[in-house]
Amino acid sequence: MRRRLRIALPALLIFAAAASAGTPPPVTNLQAAQQAIANAERVDAASLAAVELGEARAKLSAAEKAVAAKQMVVGAQLADEARADAELAAARAGAAKAYTVNAEIKRSTATLVEEMQRKAGDSK
Amino acid sequence: MNSTNYLQFRSIIAVAVAAALFAGCASVPEKPAGSEEVRAKLTALQGDPTLANRAPVALKDAEAAVGVAETTQKDLDLAAHRVYIADRKVETARALAQIQFAEEERTALKDQSEKARLDSRTREADVAKTDALIARAESAEQKVAASDARSVADAAQLAANASQQQAAELQRQLEILQARPTDRGLVLTLGDTLFATGKAELKSGATVNLDRITTFMNEYPNRTAAIEGFTDNTGSEEMNQSLSERRADAVKRYLVGQGVSSARLTSSGRGENAPVADNESAAGRQQNRRVEVVISQVEAEGTN
Repeated sequence: MRRRLRIALPALLIFAAAASAGTPPPVTNLQAAQQAIANAERVDAASLAAVELGEARAKLSAAEKAVAAKQMVVGAQLADEARADAELAAARAGAAKAYTVNAEIKRSTATLVEEMQRKAGDSK
Repeated sequence: MNSTNYLQFRSIIAVAVAAALFAGCASVPEKPAGSEEVRAKLTALQGDPTLANRAPVALKDAEAAVGVAETTQKDLDLAAHRVYIADRKVETARALAQIQFAEEERTALKDQSEKARLDSRTREADVAKTDALIARAESAEQKVAASDARSVADAAQLAANASQQQAAELQRQLEILQARPTDRGLVLTLGDTLFATGKAELKSGATVNLDRITTFMNEYPNRTAAIEGFTDNTGSEEMNQSLSERRADAVKRYLVGQGVSSARLTSSGRGENAPVADNESAAGRQQNRRVEVVISQVEAEGTN
């Protein structure tokens, strides 16, 4: 509900801006940024790449404000930057997960090997 | 954070870039501020052997963005924006390559893990096998011990059997000799067929029974034998006494000649004084003419 409102409200503002200015609002850029942020959230970027995701959200917010202020070019750039931030957030979250998983496998293997060597030591 | 902050920030960068441009030679087109750092990052990523080839699409995208950022000249805001985008894209390409690398590494790690697990199981199995072998060896040892005990028992049994066999053999021998157990010992009677009438020389071919005695004496080296001669009452007593002595002696000499130690043999004549039958009949007299070999019942010791 809140999310829909968050998306709906800027959209309204964008249309309002478009109506009063010659340059069309960067709807696609904003949507792409929103999409990228949603993707990043889905892969736990909120916890695994919090800085990058925060950056993306802030940029999107700034983009929406710029568009509302009829600064369409800046709005588009900020939206693009938000998207780039969100994509980075998703990628870094994925990398963090991948390394965590690998580290876990390494740890359990090391434990197994250690245990085995201890047993081998015992049996000698 | 709000948009004005960003706008201010961007303006500051733009001013800085502009200042740099003016400070430098205006005729040489300067690259936008930060673009060299981004290019350096990109180059580093491309030179990283573990990451360079692991996110080709993202890397190409980043490279294009860096190129665009580098060639943006007039619009400083746009240049800053493009540098920023390029930087994010390079970082994203790096992160994606790291994911790819991690996933490839994971395959190897899982293999290692699986191998370790397998080794562990194998080792456990080996340990179990070794334990089993040890257990088996121990049980084999116990078996050997048991079979040793058994073989001792067997030996005892064997000895028992042997002594039984010996006893049986002795019995058989005695049966062959037609010896009869008496309180004096085993008495075996050699009939008068050994000697011609009135003679003390053994008849040739009459030694079968004597040979059996020899065999018996050799078989039981601890036994001794007393050889006694007897006669009927035909003739004078002195002559009969002498004849019985000579006949007993002849038997002894024969046995000694067959290898029986003379120490184990005694010979004596009893003459006509110990008849076993009536001297009135020819059959009785024949029974009385005899040589008795009395074999010691209990094995004598030290007589060999």
